[in-house]
Amino acid sequence: MEQSILLFLLYADICLIIGFYMYIRKVRKLVGFHLGMNMSMVMGGMAALLFGIVLITHLPFHFTYITLLSAIIGGAVGAWFGMLIDYQTFVTGLTNGLIVGLMAPMIGTVIEMQMLFIWFLHAFFIGNLGILFISIKRA
Amino acid sequence: MLLLIVLFMWCVGEMLVNYRVVKKKRLLFDDRFTKTICMAIASISSFVTALYVALLLPADQIATYLLPVFLGVFIGWQFGSLIQAPASLNGLYNGVMGGVMGMMLGAVLKNPALCNIPLNSNSLIATNLFIITMFITFSHSLVCFFIRRSMRA
Repeated sequence: MEQSILLFLLYADICLIIGFYMYIRKVRKLVGFHLGMNMSMVMGGMAALLFGIVLITHLPFHFTYITLLSAIIGGAVGAWFGMLIDYQTFVTGLTNGLIVGLMAPMIGTVIEMQMLFIWFLHAFFIGNLGILFISIKRA
Repeated sequence: MLLLIVLFMWCVGEMLVNYRVVKKKRLLFDDRFTKTICMAIASISSFVTALYVALLLPADQIATYLLPVFLGVFIGWQFGSLIQAPASLNGLYNGVMGGVMGMMLGAVLKNPALCNIPLNSNSLIATNLFIITMFITFSHSLVCFFIRRSMRA
């Protein structure tokens, strides 16, 4: 049961990130430099954190490959969101995603009560998306 | 161990090349570019340096715990104060964060039982260490390449 909940949460994260990317690409002209830089940092870091913690909870015996995978995914998502705005936004998102992705599986192995932590992290992620959405609407 | 020393020399060389390039072109930057460069270069360079220092020094000495943090502070301060005065605060903060994180990753890679990671034989620990250090060196080279490429334009 727990394993299928984890896989479902991972799938929901991927869908949320792709949907948000589509939305940003549509309103790209409205997003300025500062908002773009904050957006790429938040999305890269949150993607790396979620993927690292959920995957290390799902497969606890593959620490090495999950570290590599979460770092690559974080850097790629940060770079992908930053590519919409500017070259410097791209570099910022890439670096932040890489650093957070190297740290995330270590947090995942240390915590107790993993499901509670994962649900809290998803609530945090959705709150972040809401804040970004409001600030794009106001821009 | 020889592989670790070679990778460490490679990273330090890359960092010195970046330092020279930034020093040569520091009059051309505006504020936003300064912030980006400081954040990217200080965090990942101090991360890599602190990681290798924590891996190469022998365990359980006071230098093992203090030297990586001071190296992070030093790298962030150097890169920050090179460009403009307000940027040195940004560089200092990111350098300290990178140094502390690199020291933590080094301690976990040396002794995975700290984090309840189920790697118990010596060969598994060594394989894990080499794969992760090679990946980190590769990503450091990638970020340095992007930074140098952004300065050419």
